[in-house]
Order: sequence, then structure tokens, then C-alpha cells
Amino acid sequence: MRKILQIVRNDLRLFFLSRENLISLLFVPVVMTLVVGIFSGNAASESPEMLVDVIDRDGSPLSAQLLEALREANSSLILCPLDNDTAGRCELDGAGEIGPEQARGRLEERVTEAAIVIPPGFETGVRSFEPVQVTLYTLEDIGVPEAAEQALNAALQRVNGAAAAARTGAALVSQNGLLPDEDSRSAFAKQVYDRASQIWAEEPVTVNFEYAGDPPSGGPDLQSGLGQSVPGMGAMFVMFTVFGGMTALAEERAQWTLQRLATAPLSRAQLLGGKILARFVLGALQFMVVFAVGIAAGIQLGRDPLALVLVAFAYTLSITALSFALGTWIKNEAQAGGFSLLLSLVLAPLGGAWWPLEIVPRAMQIVGHISPVAWAMDAFNALIFNQARLPDVVLPIAVLLGITAVAFAWAIARFRYEG
Amino acid sequence: METMVEIKDLTKTFKRPDGTPIQAVKGISLDIYKGEIFSLLGPNGAGKTTTISMISGLIEPTAGDAKIGGYSIREQPIKAKQLMGVIPQEVALYPQLTARQNLEFFGKMYGLWGKELNRRVDEVLELIGLTDRQKDRVQTYSGGMKRRVNIGVGLLHRPALVYMDEPTVGIDPQSRRRILDTVLQLRDEYGMTVLYTTHLMEEAQELSDRVGIIDHGDIIALGTQGELIQQVGEQDRLILNVGRQPVSAELLKELQDHIEGVTHAMYDPPGSGENSHSDRGLITVTATRGRRALPEILHRIAEAGLEVQSVEVREPDLEAVFLNLTGRALRD
Repeated sequence: MRKILQIVRNDLRLFFLSRENLISLLFVPVVMTLVVGIFSGNAASESPEMLVDVIDRDGSPLSAQLLEALREANSSLILCPLDNDTAGRCELDGAGEIGPEQARGRLEERVTEAAIVIPPGFETGVRSFEPVQVTLYTLEDIGVPEAAEQALNAALQRVNGAAAAARTGAALVSQNGLLPDEDSRSAFAKQVYDRASQIWAEEPVTVNFEYAGDPPSGGPDLQSGLGQSVPGMGAMFVMFTVFGGMTALAEERAQWTLQRLATAPLSRAQLLGGKILARFVLGALQFMVVFAVGIAAGIQLGRDPLALVLVAFAYTLSITALSFALGTWIKNEAQAGGFSLLLSLVLAPLGGAWWPLEIVPRAMQIVGHISPVAWAMDAFNALIFNQARLPDVVLPIAVLLGITAVAFAWAIARFRYEG
Repeated sequence: METMVEIKDLTKTFKRPDGTPIQAVKGISLDIYKGEIFSLLGPNGAGKTTTISMISGLIEPTAGDAKIGGYSIREQPIKAKQLMGVIPQEVALYPQLTARQNLEFFGKMYGLWGKELNRRVDEVLELIGLTDRQKDRVQTYSGGMKRRVNIGVGLLHRPALVYMDEPTVGIDPQSRRRILDTVLQLRDEYGMTVLYTTHLMEEAQELSDRVGIIDHGDIIALGTQGELIQQVGEQDRLILNVGRQPVSAELLKELQDHIEGVTHAMYDPPGSGENSHSDRGLITVTATRGRRALPEILHRIAEAGLEVQSVEVREPDLEAVFLNLTGRALRD
């Protein structure tokens, strides 16, 4: 272990002796994170409202409550025709009501992003614990309707939660024989439902979207902008830093220090372990620098800092492993430099480091997940924007660790001291 | 004599880019004894570096094994490597670090720490004559100074066995002299075993207790210098400088076939081999009792219309042995 730590120490010393490395580790990522964060924050703050047609065939207090919950879940949703104003923000061309055909047409013409149909008997069904289906129409292959879908899910969660509470309460009193007649039980269930709905409404909103209203100052939405740029730029610069290990390794081969180390009484695991650990430390340091910038700028990193650290750890590990696996093909420094730059500039945008994957077509979202960046960004977005916790990001962490295991196995099997 | 290195059937096969195999080392076997300087002499591409790379654990043999102090390089590589100090042909140092930092780092890789490490580093800096420049970055050193640090790293842990792979390539005569003296010092004062590879016959002759001549991946001769030179008997080498005049194959054949005692004749035009920077075209004739054959040789060359500018007669040496065994000069 002592020898491994000496290799790490030596590699870090060599890295920090270069002024260019210091600039690329500290200065450039900080500037890029802030610039991209502020720019995309501006874009987010100027984001258009999302028109969603609502056909409320029930017209009940509960359906009105559902629509109110929708607004609370995502304030950038404009529910048409309910939220239409004198300026005609719903673009209804004088029509006061929206029928199914008109909603479909508006959706196809992309006037609206989605349409929601609340069926007749919605309230009765919910209160009598019968299955009820609310229908959401969206356009395929665009990301924006996902926000409407998520908002609807959040609103329905409230309704379902209150209904579940009412049903449980009614079952308990019935079981204990406290309320013998049906009418009293129904009245009790209604009371429980209303009370549960009230508690839901008093609770802080749990689904947190980027389009959460205009910032009070009228300036850029830094939480939204930096919430994307901090993990995004962090992920990209971690790649630059860690993939730089390929160049460093090629350089060591060329100057024969790697071969000299190979003739020292060190096991292959000690030598490779030291080299890998050194790059991992630099990658982790890179992430810390970028996240420190985010924290200093005042962004909220979610409710689970441990999960955030674990995602950053798994991502950095996967990139380090990939770097050493790909390094087995690299013959010289020029090849390593070009390849690492190309790879970083492909994997970063593909995985959503430059812009959220939600805004690209669904096919590209799927393709993007060949990049470890996409898995890391999925987890970071869930943690930062959706207040997720560790259990919610187990899948992306597992995928990143899976990539790590495969890449390390490949690297160890294929690694040669001489190019 | 006690054996320090035991090489048995050591083989290395590489693949060419087109996938066909090429055998760089062809099952060589030899022993190197404790406390001797053993030179592996052969032309460039003969397999010297591949052999050293295998027995230093840098590349894995395709077949065969080498034991260092009884430890197999395949089975117990860490123990074997602890006994050896490797001085590669390349200057294998971190140019951004100082000589002391380089020595300290590699010393730690050989298990030296604390006061012991400091003491050894001081000793080595003294040995290589760089105590006063120890805090300067290696990148500011001359080629000769870098070579000395390169050697110092290999000696730091006082290995029982030192591999030196062509350590004098590309350096000035003064530094070369210093390195050769150091090699002798390692054997005579520190009792180290030295495996020295070179393509320079003069170095092998000056340093070696025993010599292995390697060509095309095979050991073609092995023994003390006396034993090897006996193989060529009393053959002298006559080296005739004909400048830039063209020499025909017919003339060489005539010299070889029609003059008594001549066993071989060859021609190095100007700009080839060791003549790469000179105007000297050299006819090399190997002959038994060469001095007696010289007048006839000069006569035949004059008949061919060439003017000989100078003649050098060399007693039998390792170069002659190689020439005798392969029909080629070491520098080819």
C-alpha cells in the first residue's frame, strides 16, 4: 500500500508541476460552469409557458381540486380554457370551450403541449374507491410533455393519497363497529378525505420543476442554470482530467519511466492501482472544484448529499476505468491527446452535460445512455431538481459501477507496459 | 562458480502488423556467474534488448524461463526483481523532477525509506558525481549527466545484479569513459554481477569477463574473449580505405577466391554503417596471416583501377569472431 501511495503522490506532484494542468483543473471549469449556468439560467427564466388543454367532463369540486393541484405542481402549466385571460394566452380564437376534436387539433398543430381529459363520474368514482382513468394526450418524441405528465402524476398522487387515507379510515371504523350505518361511514370517509386533502395542500410542494415561476428579481434562474451546469460541466471536466491519464501514461511509456517502474519489485496490481488511484483523485478533485463553485453561487444540491457524493464517486470511477481500458489501444501521446479530447466532446453532450437530455428527441435520449454522463446526469437531476434520495438513484449508480467493473477487467487483462 | 542468472530456452515471438509471427529470441540458454561482467554483444536488432526485457520482467517470455539468484522471473517476479537493478538504454527519468527527487521516488519503489533512503541517495549522487546539481531539474542536464542519473537509479538499492542496456549510446567520449569506469567499479569494488549489452566490440572487449554473441535472436558464441578469438584462429582483418571510388562485386570475389589465406572480403561504401558521416569506403578482408597476403591484395586492387588511401591491420578480435560466424560486420 505504501508503494501505491507513493505512486499516487508522485503522479499528483507531476500533475501539479504543470501550470497548464492547474489552469485546466481550476480556472477553465470554474469559468465554464458559471458562464453556462448563467446562460442556461437565463434561458430557463425566459422559458415559455406550457399550454395544456383540459376537458373536465366531471365538473365536480374534486376535479377542480385536481386542476388546482396541477397548477401547484408546475406553475408554468397554463390550463386552457380555465386560465385564459383577456390577452388570449390560451390562443382559443374566441372559443370559450374546448372539445375533444379541437384539443386534438391544437395538440397536432403544437399550440398545446398536452391535453388532459377528466372523465365524467371522476369524483364519485374516487370517493367510492372505484377505478377512474384520467387521460393525458401528448405529442411523441418531444421532451416538454413529460413536465405535464409529471405534474399530473403529482396531482393525482394527492388525490389518490387522500382517497387511500379515506378508504383506510372507513375500513378501520367499519371493522371496529364504530359507525354501524352506511351513511355515517360515507360521511366519515368524506371527512377523512377532505382532511387528508387539506394536509396535502398544507405540505410543501414535493415535485420541484425547473419552470417554477419567474425569479423574484427578474434576473437569471441560477438554481435551474447552475443545477444543470454544475453536474454537467463537472462531468465533462472530470472526463478531460481523467482521460488526460491516457496522455500521461503514453508520456510515461515514451520517456520509459513506466517500463522502469515495471522492472521494480512491484506487482502489476500495485503499479496499475497507483496510476488509477492518482487519476481518480484528480477526477474527484475536479468534481469538488465545480460543486464548490455551485455551492458558493448558492444553488441547492438536493436533500441527500451522500447520494450526490456516491453518484460523483461512481461516475469518476467509471471514467477512470474507461480511461485505462481505452488506454490499452493508445500508442503515443499525440494519439492519446486527440482521442481523449474527441471522446470527451462526444460523450459529454451525448450524455446531457451541455443541455438537459429532456429537450432532445426520445431516440437520442436512448442513444445518449451509451455515455456514462447520461447515467450520472439522470441521478444528479433527480437529486438536485426532484429532491430524490439514494434509493431513487440506485439504478444509475449500479450502471456506472457496472461500466467500471467491465472496463477495469478489460484494462487489467489488456494492459502492456510497452506500447 | 556460483550462478547468478540462469536462462533456459528463453523465447519471444512477436506478431507483425500483418499477423505473421516473428521470433525475436529463439530459445536461448546461458548462465551468468556471480561477480562477473557478462556482455551480450550483437548488432542492432539482434535480440539483446528483448532478452533483457524478458529477464527484467518487462515483457513476458513466450517460452522458457530465467532465474535470478534462484528466483524464477515467471513464478517469483517480485523476489527476482528485488535482486536486480535495471539501467535501460533510454533515459528513464522524470524530466520535471530533480535528480534527488527521481532517486528518492525510485528508491521507495525498491523498498528504501527514511534515513536509509537518504543515505543511499547521497552515496549514489556522490558516485555519479552530481551532488552539487542534485536539486536541479533533470530537464536542465546535459545528455551525459542524464545518463549518469539513469545509472544511479539502477544502483540505488545495491542490487546483486545490474542490467545495463547499451548505456553509452549517444553520449560524448568523456561521459562514456566515466560510465565504463563505473561498470568496472561495480564489479571490482561492490562485487556486483553486470549483464551489459552492446553492439560495440570495443566496449565488450574492455569490460567483459565473458561474452555471449547474439545474432538474429540466437546465441551463436559464448565464452571468454580468449576462447572466442581462438575460434577464428590467427585471422587478421585488413581494412583498406578506398575513399569514394566504386568497388565492384567481382573485385571482392576475386580477393576472396584467388588470394591464398583470404577467407572473406566485404565492402562498406561511404555513408554506411560506422562510415555514415565520412567519405571512407572500406574494403575489409579477413585473412590468415593477413600481413603476408597484403601485397597481393593491394596488387589486385590496383589492377582494378582503385587507389588505396590507407591500410589498417587488426589482430583477431570479437569483431573478427562475429564476421567469421555470420559473414557480416557487427555494425551491419
